[in-house]
Amino acid sequence: MEIRDVPCPFCGCLCDDISVRLEDNRITGVENCCTLGNAKFLSKSRLQHPIMRKDGKWIEVTYEEAIDETARILSDAMRPLLYGWSGTIGEAQVVGVHLAEEIGALIDSTTSVCHNPSILAIQEVGHPGCTLGQVKNRADLVVYWGCNPIEAHPRHMSRYTTYADGYFIDNTATDRKVIVVDIRRSDGAKIADEFIQVKPGGDYLILSALRAMVRGKDEVVPDSVAGVEKVQLQRVADLMMKAKFGAVFFGLGVTMSRGKYKNVRNAIELVSELNRKTKFTISAMRGHFNVYGFNEVLTWMAGYPFAVDFSRGIAFYNPGETSVIDLLERKEPDACLVVASDPGAHFPKSTIEHMASIPTVQIDPCVNATTALCQVQIPVAITGVESAGTAYRMDGVPIRMKKVIETEFPTDQEILERIVTRIREMRSDG
Amino acid sequence: MTFILISGRTIPQGSFVEHKLSKGYQRATSTLFIHSLDLYELGIESGDRVNVTSSFGSVVLTTETTEDIQTGCVYIALGPYANAITGGYTHATGMPDYKDIIVEIEPTEDPVPTVWDLMEMVGGVRYGN
Repeated sequence: MEIRDVPCPFCGCLCDDISVRLEDNRITGVENCCTLGNAKFLSKSRLQHPIMRKDGKWIEVTYEEAIDETARILSDAMRPLLYGWSGTIGEAQVVGVHLAEEIGALIDSTTSVCHNPSILAIQEVGHPGCTLGQVKNRADLVVYWGCNPIEAHPRHMSRYTTYADGYFIDNTATDRKVIVVDIRRSDGAKIADEFIQVKPGGDYLILSALRAMVRGKDEVVPDSVAGVEKVQLQRVADLMMKAKFGAVFFGLGVTMSRGKYKNVRNAIELVSELNRKTKFTISAMRGHFNVYGFNEVLTWMAGYPFAVDFSRGIAFYNPGETSVIDLLERKEPDACLVVASDPGAHFPKSTIEHMASIPTVQIDPCVNATTALCQVQIPVAITGVESAGTAYRMDGVPIRMKKVIETEFPTDQEILERIVTRIREMRSDG
Repeated sequence: MTFILISGRTIPQGSFVEHKLSKGYQRATSTLFIHSLDLYELGIESGDRVNVTSSFGSVVLTTETTEDIQTGCVYIALGPYANAITGGYTHATGMPDYKDIIVEIEPTEDPVPTVWDLMEMVGGVRYGN
């Protein structure tokens, strides 16, 4: 049996043209997918039972025992942290936000360590963005800044930009120019019409130089900026101003480097400047398949897109204080629930040291680095393969994820609902 | 020798992301990409191991030569190895300095730790093997 048009639950591209071949409720083949999505669809290893740590050793437990223990840990906590959420669907995220409000927890997502600075910049100066469909059909210039689509979003170029046919583009190979700005000559840089190899931490300077040039103030730009020659910047500024429709995509090279959200703000302001001359848009290359979805869900429910602290009984948002890394660095949480992400692999050492020292619970289908930091892990169905629901593509377009195989594993949503119910029972017992 | 370390995504890192305890993931995230001239300066060859130290910690990585980054910079896939030498300070932005970390690099014969080893160093307990 073959199921067509399956959305891929890996990255923010959410490619929804995947064909999955099935035999006896097992995936035997995948078509149209990139290496990353393919590896996820065909993955075999997973945790088979809930596990719990007892006297320094792991033991297998039932779902009831694991849920009971999780509810007890969260109920007893003074400063619980609920973290993750990007690898699950909106319906489960909704339950997570309700849980956070009910127990006065701080809730944050992987956004905090990827495009948090992009959100801060957008809150300062706005977001001249558009959907990927507009870019595909109209953009004659694409700029990849501080991102490497070939390795992080392998089909971005073939579905939406460089190699995609566009309705208003006669010949995509010749009529669509590509500029890459990166510290490394990545595979994307090798096919670019212009590659700006910037020195580490130099993005802000390059953006400022380009803004001056677009304003017609070339004379204020020195001969070399962050290791890049002025003549190259002039060529790039000309390409940008001559474009009919330019689209900037930026990644963590901009958000994580020195300057952080100020880099993104400068990039947005360059795009605003370019809109005085032509049409330009800017968009973040979001990582997890539903990291954008969490920002949507939390904004509907609490008014803010990430790092919301419910400890005061109201939604309080102050990134830098209520963001997950700062909270862990201050060693504040006395319990932590991790859902659909792996902070053990992706957080700085000092912060995971604190996670290992408090009762931490993980809801995830696979054994991962965070498993070692936990007291309890509850395995669940693989979202987008074994359970359906809503995810948001990197440009904010909601897409219905499909269930392609049957499973006996419960979904994230079911487990979270059972934890909420159990906490209410414990509280009503006094 | 002093270098600037940058972390980021690579295809092998992403392919093994659901198998974090596999040898493939360990290899993908413990490889340090370094310019061939810098390898020469260190007096070692591609594939030799180095000890990488920042103000926040130290980790053993395996080198791999590349011409795609400038001398003085080194590159590693994101993951537990990069994070063993990343600090948790965020400049009040919520975002730690995952890129542009100043590191000292010196050759070593020490083995590359496993992901479980790294998790046990912070107080975790390995599951299974």
